[in-house]
Amino acid sequence: MTIRARLTFWYAGILIASLLVMGVGTYREIHEQMMRHANHSTIERALGETGEMIFQAGLPAVVLGLLGGWWLTRRSLLPVSKLTDAIKKIHEHNLREPLPRANNGDELDQLAKVFNEMLARLDDSFNRIREFTLHASHELKTPLTVLCGEIETALRDDSLSPVERGRLADRLEELRRLARIVDGLTLLARADAGQIQLQFEDVRLDEIVRDDFADLQILAEPHGIKAELGSCEAITIRGDQHRLRQLLLNLADNAVKYNHPRGGVKMSLVRNNGFAEIKIANNSDGIPADKLPRVFDRFFRGDTAHGNTIDGCGLGLSIAQWIVKAHQGTIRIESEPGKLTTVTVHLPLNGETGERA
Amino acid sequence: MRILVVEDERKTASFVRKALQAEGFATDVCHNGDEALAAASVTPFDAIVLDIMLPGRDGLSVLKLLRARKKMTPVLLLSARGEVNERVEGLNAGADDYLPKPFELSELVARVRALTRRGSENKSTVLSVADLTLDTVTHQAGRGGKKIDLTAREYRLLEFLMRSAGRLCGRMMILEKVWDYDFDPGTNLVDVYVRRLREKIDADFEAKLLHTVRGSGYVLKEQT
Repeated sequence: MTIRARLTFWYAGILIASLLVMGVGTYREIHEQMMRHANHSTIERALGETGEMIFQAGLPAVVLGLLGGWWLTRRSLLPVSKLTDAIKKIHEHNLREPLPRANNGDELDQLAKVFNEMLARLDDSFNRIREFTLHASHELKTPLTVLCGEIETALRDDSLSPVERGRLADRLEELRRLARIVDGLTLLARADAGQIQLQFEDVRLDEIVRDDFADLQILAEPHGIKAELGSCEAITIRGDQHRLRQLLLNLADNAVKYNHPRGGVKMSLVRNNGFAEIKIANNSDGIPADKLPRVFDRFFRGDTAHGNTIDGCGLGLSIAQWIVKAHQGTIRIESEPGKLTTVTVHLPLNGETGERA
Repeated sequence: MRILVVEDERKTASFVRKALQAEGFATDVCHNGDEALAAASVTPFDAIVLDIMLPGRDGLSVLKLLRARKKMTPVLLLSARGEVNERVEGLNAGADDYLPKPFELSELVARVRALTRRGSENKSTVLSVADLTLDTVTHQAGRGGKKIDLTAREYRLLEFLMRSAGRLCGRMMILEKVWDYDFDPGTNLVDVYVRRLREKIDADFEAKLLHTVRGSGYVLKEQT
């Protein structure tokens, strides 16, 4: 029950009770007065009329009172529902925008003020976390550069035994993996901080898809995976060429990495309801339904059993999601365990006229 | 050949110098922007390796000043930020190449070598290494009189490797020149393509031309 309904009920109760008290009081007073001055039969009639009068005047008063009460609670609670609507719109990225205030110093204005102060503190903490990630990934790059460089320098020494050489090369490989993780983190941290400007231009999405498909075939071949390109409609969108290529290569790479040996991958690009729709479906063990919503989380690995055997930085899908969002698009992933995993990307066709194929 | 390395992080500066010296370059090192500007104004270097983040005057401003003074020495920019925008900004400021940190040393050396060779590039339309030939007009490759069919991407890869014949080509460099990727996709795309190309140009021949340098990249050359 809302506060408004509750208050109105209580108010109605009080109103009726007070009217009752008033009515009974008045009735008694009149009764006493009449007993002193008049005879019995006229008294009976006059009393009946008095009761009727009280009832007739009281009923409209009760109705008016109720309506007034309803209006009063509504009016006094209106700022609360406004506040609720404003708070509903708050999320991680608009903490900076304060709630609207009446500035009249009443209780709700105080509440809004305190809430705004809390938002500012939250925003501050969020920023500090973002900055920390950004600084951490920058700071990691210098020692990584030094470590990689020193191992490479060591590898140039011709007197190394093959065993030592292998050991150093393995170490270098791991360091480079670490470097890729740091690279991905820097990218995401900068994207969070709004520091990355995408270079929007008209891009032929079908050309990018075809290019990516060529790479997909090459990546799939050594594993005996069959790659197939479904329809690929000629579509031009406003987008960042490099980021879109990065997105598609990322998805193609996943479709191969998480595939079955001798499995298949199918790619397609079509128009669908004002969006360019890219689908990449591949055979896989599948992702359990309870883990699906989390696959875009940073460093999330759906299949812990495979987590260690598949080489990846754990940021690929987070980066993919960022690229899609930066293009005002959506990305979703569906999975039928043991059969197919399908990634669907929708990118707005913005402005392109609705010719359908 | 004389190279100037401008890098404030002393360990990085030191192994970059060692690597360049090992390749036969005379190498000078500066640790800040003003020193670098002074050195580059006096000494005619063949190339400059310039870190963007420097104490005092930063790398980009050093580069802009050099270009304003009509010093056209090839410049390779290094940066810990590694962002597309920064790369574009650097190239617009007059840099000839850009390498994000953490970089691979072999990649850096290969790029410096490419910079110092700029201008003396092979201009002929038919490239050749040993008995392997590549016609850059008809895109036809052949070895020992036998025709080799290449896909568009394989052609670009082979052309790049042949233009850099004898020099080490790092993975990032190949991704950049052949695929136009300026990010590390973290896939083994390059290795898979090189393997395919190797099957086409080397498999049927005794003398192998396309060699892997473990942990560094690839080189196309006649084995001596």
